[in-house]
Amino acid sequence: MKKSFGEKLFDVFLIVFMVLMCVIMIYPYLNQLAISLNDGTDTMLGGITVFPRKWTWSNYDTIFSNESLIRSTVVTVITVICSTILTLIVCVGAAYAIKKKDLPFRNAIIWILLLPSYISAGVIPTFILFRYLHLMNNILVYILPSAFTFYNVIIIRTFLSSLPVALEEAAYIEGANEMQILYKVILPLCKPVLATVALWTMVASWNDWTTTLYYVNEPSLFKLQYIIQQIIKQSEVVQKMVNDSALTGGSTSVRARPTSESVKAAAIIFSTLPIICTYPFLQKYFVKGVAIGAVKD
Amino acid sequence: MNALNRKKEETFKPLGSKSLLSRMAKYRFLYLILAPALILVLVFCYLPMFGLVIAFQDYDIIGGITASEFVGFDNFVKIFTMPKFTKAIINTVKYSSVQLFLGLPFPIMLALLFNELRMIRFKRIVQTISYLPYFLSWISVVGMFSAFFALDGTYNTFMATIVGESYEAKNILTDAENFLGILFWTNIWKNIGWNSIIFLAAITGIDPTLYEAAMVDGCNRFKQVLYITIPCLLPTIAIIFIMNTASLVTLNFEQVFGFQNIYIQEETEVINTLVYRQGILNAEYSLSTAFGMFQGAVSFALVCITNFIVKRVSGVGIW
Repeated sequence: MKKSFGEKLFDVFLIVFMVLMCVIMIYPYLNQLAISLNDGTDTMLGGITVFPRKWTWSNYDTIFSNESLIRSTVVTVITVICSTILTLIVCVGAAYAIKKKDLPFRNAIIWILLLPSYISAGVIPTFILFRYLHLMNNILVYILPSAFTFYNVIIIRTFLSSLPVALEEAAYIEGANEMQILYKVILPLCKPVLATVALWTMVASWNDWTTTLYYVNEPSLFKLQYIIQQIIKQSEVVQKMVNDSALTGGSTSVRARPTSESVKAAAIIFSTLPIICTYPFLQKYFVKGVAIGAVKD
Repeated sequence: MNALNRKKEETFKPLGSKSLLSRMAKYRFLYLILAPALILVLVFCYLPMFGLVIAFQDYDIIGGITASEFVGFDNFVKIFTMPKFTKAIINTVKYSSVQLFLGLPFPIMLALLFNELRMIRFKRIVQTISYLPYFLSWISVVGMFSAFFALDGTYNTFMATIVGESYEAKNILTDAENFLGILFWTNIWKNIGWNSIIFLAAITGIDPTLYEAAMVDGCNRFKQVLYITIPCLLPTIAIIFIMNTASLVTLNFEQVFGFQNIYIQEETEVINTLVYRQGILNAEYSLSTAFGMFQGAVSFALVCITNFIVKRVSGVGIW
């Protein structure tokens, strides 16, 4: 079918629009990248877009010589690993159990698990409870409360229901018990959905900083994103970092001087780099999660 | 007949109760793997609900809940009479209603445009880039935009080249007037791509024979979208809308807290941020609990009401 003039015009408009959108989407990031690689005092003159004018690594030297940033990175990595493992155990267990249609009290259990998605006690009662449970200033506060998410259970359960029942029956006839069926038959088939849930949990845990804001004031347990928040909110923190780094000789070049703006950029780039670098390759898993969740019930 | 029935009852009733226990015993492994989830939900979601009682108390920090004095609805009365709180409620509704109603069409339009893209490779690249901001934390997004709007940032440099010498550099993030716009557009920027996925998935699910029929009837691409794609999308739109109505009284804390700064903080306080500042920073537990409870109740009611109305009008609902 021959395209009309109007349709051709629309196609051109569409491409221009999409390119423009991409530029808007990645410009702020490239801008930060350029600022983080540019000499701090030079940045203050303005006009940095996506290319650094005066190349320097000194901003990164500053953040890498900062002890609290390194420690918070370690804390973040530990919590990301632990909460991913725990989330998988908790959610797979729940999903596999509620998949069984004739499980006694199944409906009541589903309601108990579902209800918190709609009503919650709010920040302050949770805060008071955590104090009773000694979760304040405790690394477990990052791992335990977020381990169960109903949405993850739904995603896993939907995937489980798509597996042929014959598999389980065959294993049952072969004499496998429930545990063996789950670990030897079901889980190996679940890799895609487990990857999806694991990646979501990793991103959520990596990006989380409000947990620190609410429940942690012990600096050795701060998470990376919370440090970023501090850097953004308090430029004096940055100034101190710059001074400390000057004292310890962290900054290699004498001429290139980091400023709060450029150190902030370096910290943001550092904290988002793991996501930016891995995301394009893992995108299909993320999108799969949405697609599965969309067809729930 | 009667005797037969009685006989059935006699044999089945005891068997039924026994089989419940035996069924539970048979599934003991399932209960075992279900236990962690149940325990976590009971401890971290249901246990705090008992804490809501302090909304009706004058909470005694040292004595705890049992030693605190009951004050009835005093805290709720305070919320609606203290200007600080009423302002937060007004701000919340103002900011979120704009995001809810004006923000909804953006991802739908993007999904429609994605659907019109015929070059698969180009489409995939554009989609990947548009999803990207969704995976960044709000706080790094705040950092990026604060650099973008800084006095020496791109925005001011750009404006200076357009307006010329007379342009006076200013940081628009320090003016409370711009806060709504900042929240709205950064929200679009961060989430538009990701939110379009669900609509795109719905578009992909539309029966292609509908388009073929429309083409035979002489519909061009624009008319196909208008008469087929959009009507077929309506159920999805309705569901997304219902799920979003809860956010009418709940703004994204990370976003609002992130973009607030000392110049505009008092002007732009919303429910979430005020609960944090009054409750956790100033230790006014009872007042903030009441405030949070009010917010939770309203958002739950909103979901129910919208669900009811939409279900009446279009037959689509979340329960």
